[in-house]
Amino acid sequence: MGQVKVEALRGVTFDIDRGELVSILGPSGSGKSTLLNMIGALDRPTSGNIVIEGVDASTLSDNKLAEMRKRVGFVFQFFNLIPRLDAKANVELPLAIAGLPSRERTRKAEEALKRVGLGDRMRHKSSELSGGERQRVAVARALVTEPSFLLMDEPTGNLDSVSAGEMMDLVVDLNSSKNMTAVIVTHNQEISDRTKRTMRMRDGRIVSDQVT
Amino acid sequence: MRARDTMSYAFGAIRLRKLRSGLTTLGIVIGIAAIVALMSFTQGFQVAIESQFQEGFSTDTVIVSTGFLGFGSNSDFTLYVNDTNYINTIDNVETSAAILSRSCTADLGNMTRVLGVTGVNYTAYEIMYSTFVAERGAIPAVPSNDSAVIGHGVYDPFGNGTIEADVGDTILLSYSVRNGTSLVYINKTVTVVAVLAEIGAFGLGPSDSGFYIPIETAVEYFDTDVVSQIVVKLVDDSEAMVTSTSDAIKALFSNMVSVTSPTALLATISSALGLVSILIAGIAGISLLVAGIGIMNIMIVSLIERTREIGILKALGAKGRTVLAVFLTEAGLIGLIGAVAGILLGALLGNLIGIGVSAMMSGDGGFGGMGGGGGSSFGGFRMAFAPVVTPSLILLALFFGVVVSLVFALYPARRASKLTPVDALRSE
Repeated sequence: MGQVKVEALRGVTFDIDRGELVSILGPSGSGKSTLLNMIGALDRPTSGNIVIEGVDASTLSDNKLAEMRKRVGFVFQFFNLIPRLDAKANVELPLAIAGLPSRERTRKAEEALKRVGLGDRMRHKSSELSGGERQRVAVARALVTEPSFLLMDEPTGNLDSVSAGEMMDLVVDLNSSKNMTAVIVTHNQEISDRTKRTMRMRDGRIVSDQVT
Repeated sequence: MRARDTMSYAFGAIRLRKLRSGLTTLGIVIGIAAIVALMSFTQGFQVAIESQFQEGFSTDTVIVSTGFLGFGSNSDFTLYVNDTNYINTIDNVETSAAILSRSCTADLGNMTRVLGVTGVNYTAYEIMYSTFVAERGAIPAVPSNDSAVIGHGVYDPFGNGTIEADVGDTILLSYSVRNGTSLVYINKTVTVVAVLAEIGAFGLGPSDSGFYIPIETAVEYFDTDVVSQIVVKLVDDSEAMVTSTSDAIKALFSNMVSVTSPTALLATISSALGLVSILIAGIAGISLLVAGIGIMNIMIVSLIERTREIGILKALGAKGRTVLAVFLTEAGLIGLIGAVAGILLGALLGNLIGIGVSAMMSGDGGFGGMGGGGGSSFGGFRMAFAPVVTPSLILLALFFGVVVSLVFALYPARRASKLTPVDALRSE
């Protein structure tokens, strides 16, 4: 790690209301992933505040941040599944971390996998699944804890257009049917077009914030 | 995360890297096996020595000698056969017997053996030692000058019924003295009047390889009345009496003699063996230390390889202590599996060593009886070792196996727990 400080975000101020479907659009290096990591309590700002459900996350201890992460569903560009575990075990993992008993975990994981259309692929390891399927497992993992909001970092970045379309169908459906707040970071205009609100970022700043 | 889930998650990680985990575990197995094998063997040895001693001596006797049990005398003080008369006047002394022994060549039937021929007072010896009893013939109360009582190992040296000397046989004893530059052999013919029952143990008293002649005969034959030891039987074996009588005997001889109680001697030997046992365990512990460093190495490699996985766990809400627990559980499981396998292997090795040593010791010409009244002749002595794996040794081995693993895994586990999720997820 270098010693030169890089300001990834500058003067970023915005609110997201419950039930919103927001995309953050911008080129690589614009700071959109850094912003998402902070919203998801994966990172802390060096200055400024991030208030999540009334709590200032920027001042929380490591343990409190970890607790906060349990209320966030995170989906990563590279899926971030644990290769040695099968789909069901991957989806059960956040529940195991939360300390849920085995039977309840199994029931919830199976439900989540069925919801993303992978009811018949539960015992497959991630290496035995396609990119689209892996990302659906990641979405199931994000949803299984019934999080307050869903954060997705380039969720379709490694998917073909059909899988990407299916993924967005799922997200739009969750947003409308369950009123789930979702924030999607992308550099894909087509993905962004399917959200109600689009924030554009460049060089660590929000340059536009439009609601369609 | 629940303890069971942490365990299952950690076990999954171990199973994924079977070969590497196996080799790491092997380090612990070797370390623990070495400790268990050596400690069980030394404990077995200690138990064997103690039981042999307890069978072989009487606790109500003390031995008066000019050095430590006649070895390494650093005074020019001399004990004489007739000193028993003085000792017998001391309170609480029941009787005493002077021991006059010398190595002699004995012509037995088909073989010639070098034996320790010991001159003793048969009657006093019978009072002192319950093992001085005849199996064949009879020990005479008033022995003739040429009578001899032989140990069972002289009668049947191979333990297979090949009798070399029996009651009624005459045996030619000889020893040499220097006359100028030449050796002069002094011979004596004795007749076996009794064969002792098999003793099986060694100690301070009669032994299976002993050859006993009357003390008067020994004085005349060896042409000396200087004795190396006098065995004293007390009226009972209470510690206070042993101490006070020992002091009285020392005072009688102007503190120029040493008085050794077999109980004290056994305690000294036990404590020395205990020390040896600890020393050996310490040496074996070095291999455990090396195994611990192996665990640390493997955990650091694992940490580097699984940084992303740690990031995922943290992104899913795992706290630092959960990650710490996962890593420590992995190391603890390796330690536990290694310790259990090591205990089994160690017990097996201990048994093999025990069998090997027992075989070596039971061979003719092996370990001999300890000095003392029996005279130190060698051969015909059998002693079996069984390694002792005590519950405390098992617990100690388990404890060390797990603790060493945990201690060495602490640094990598702490490093893993301190990773920030963003940095961890960024790793390739």
